[in-house]
Amino acid sequence: MKTIAHVRVTPEGAVLDGNHISDASITGLYREFAGDYPKFFKMDNLCRLGFVAAELLLKGTSAEDRADAAVVLFNRNGSLVTDRNYQKTISGGDFFPSPALFVYTLANIVTGEIAIRHKIYGETSFYVMPAYDPGQMDDIAEDLFLTSSPSFVLTGWVDYNDDNDYLADMKIMTR
Amino acid sequence: MDNLILQLKQQIIEALNLEDLTPADIDAEAPLFGEGLGLDSIDALELIVLLEREYGIRLSNPAEGKEIFRSVASIASYVADNRKK
Amino acid sequence: MESTLITCLADNILSPLGATSVDNFAAVSEGHSMLRRHEGVFGLPEPFCASLFDREMIRGLAQASVREFESYTFFETLCILSAMKALESCSVDPAADDVLFIFSTTKGNVDCLSSSLDDSRCYLADSALRVARYFGNAVTPLVVSNACVSGVCAQIAAVRSLLAGRCRHAVVIGCDVLSGFIVSGFQSFKALSPEPCRPYDRDRVGLNLGEAAATMVLSAADSMSDDKWYYVASSNHNDANHISGPSRTGEGAYRVLSDILKSLRRDEIAFVNAHGTATAYNDEMESIALHRAGLDDTPVNGLKGFYGHTLGAAGVAETILSMKAIDNGVVLPTKGYSEQGTTYALSISPDVRTASRRSFIKILSGFGGSNAGIAYRKGGDA
Repeated sequence: MKTIAHVRVTPEGAVLDGNHISDASITGLYREFAGDYPKFFKMDNLCRLGFVAAELLLKGTSAEDRADAAVVLFNRNGSLVTDRNYQKTISGGDFFPSPALFVYTLANIVTGEIAIRHKIYGETSFYVMPAYDPGQMDDIAEDLFLTSSPSFVLTGWVDYNDDNDYLADMKIMTR
Repeated sequence: MDNLILQLKQQIIEALNLEDLTPADIDAEAPLFGEGLGLDSIDALELIVLLEREYGIRLSNPAEGKEIFRSVASIASYVADNRKK
Repeated sequence: MESTLITCLADNILSPLGATSVDNFAAVSEGHSMLRRHEGVFGLPEPFCASLFDREMIRGLAQASVREFESYTFFETLCILSAMKALESCSVDPAADDVLFIFSTTKGNVDCLSSSLDDSRCYLADSALRVARYFGNAVTPLVVSNACVSGVCAQIAAVRSLLAGRCRHAVVIGCDVLSGFIVSGFQSFKALSPEPCRPYDRDRVGLNLGEAAATMVLSAADSMSDDKWYYVASSNHNDANHISGPSRTGEGAYRVLSDILKSLRRDEIAFVNAHGTATAYNDEMESIALHRAGLDDTPVNGLKGFYGHTLGAAGVAETILSMKAIDNGVVLPTKGYSEQGTTYALSISPDVRTASRRSFIKILSGFGGSNAGIAYRKGGDA
């Protein structure tokens, strides 16, 4: 497996292929490197994080390759931050369950948001792990090629706790 | 009615996370879905929640929403006629 | 790559219809369903129609067979009970380090968010670890969380791990339990039918939710035998269209079927066990995808009229029921179906039909634009 591009997004900013390219927050990165996708603001923070990381990673890829790519992401929290926010809409005296929040109580939605934005028709998968485990993540990405033939795999870790604690460590890999 | 329209615009911007938009950017007569603001099916469901939470109006059949949610002006006239709070 | 042959060694379905795969198959064959109207359950203001476990019955089962049963959540208890039953019927030692546990769940213990301030039990991977450790297994389990398609994706993950030689046996457990969280969310989507659902029918108005746990033990095999089930092909594609609305062209599901049909002839398929949630859009989308794949004449069935949509369990339970159906020479009925309600006519029946072919395709679609499918064949090449 070959790594074509690598990005790391944290509260300190974004590092693309080893170069620190911005100090911005997730929304700041969106404004700096995308800016043309109002649906970004409807996403929960996990999706926003995965979205900006994918924006940076996919810049050098062709639409043709993207159509047959796979998106396989991992984290520990799943969608727990949004789960808690949704729970608030159905707890206490007020009972107004929010469909716009509920849809983001599924961690795999981040893979769907990336697929929609970049017209990726290949595999989308999300795995929840006990802890960050790059070896196992690479194994799972590599094993994809045993039953499918994606043009490339957009893969890695994407986890959001709060504005001071988040990490996207994602890369593009080919066979 | 103008006050209600302004209030609805503010509530819609907040409920649907229409970042970067102000009430002045929304034409009360313009279609909300499709072209217009580009709202989708989840936005329509969220508008149903907004009507219930803010105005005590319950739409049990989402198909009813189609006419009501045509524009901010059509929502305003429906709210004015049916509000419970 | 150590082996390319993958077989299903053992299985279990634990549902409101029964505690074994055999009981469940019998109940479905006879047309039973546990879809009921529930009022005041989970503290919800609105009634809903769903297939729910009898909590006391499960507690009784756990008390009788699960060590320290009180330390496990309801979700974990169901996973343990189902896996235990499957493992009892084969000689796999779950504690061995060549056994990998793979979980399929959408929300796991999310009900813990409402029952206590301590939400540390909500981590899906921790739940999975507790269940694997119960069986003495020390390998880090996989948790697939791909919304409604998880049950098929977990099987695909197992297939890949086996093909890669990373394990010798994979214990695939699909499970979800209902709660105010999940039911209110589907209510807010106006997706629920107040009556038992009617997959593919003209008068369908929405889905029902259900609870189940199901387990398959998938293993690398050295040789083929006529009475065993073997993996044939699988696929996963996104619609790249919308996070909650199915594609109008069935793009992802069509691509899934096309991929699988590269390894399976149409004339050897006994049936396609489809998702069939009974929402207007899902069933229509599936009819388009099946038509585009040239499967208009292939028998299709959907089992949500018996179980509701059991989320993470659906793909596993419905795969097992499909195997039992062919074992018994039948296509299971689509309960709730009466008249064509999709643009393209499919071969669907509310009655049991006979089946002489020995392969089937299981497909699922869900939130996030995901679509997945897997095919199995009994015995060797037809």
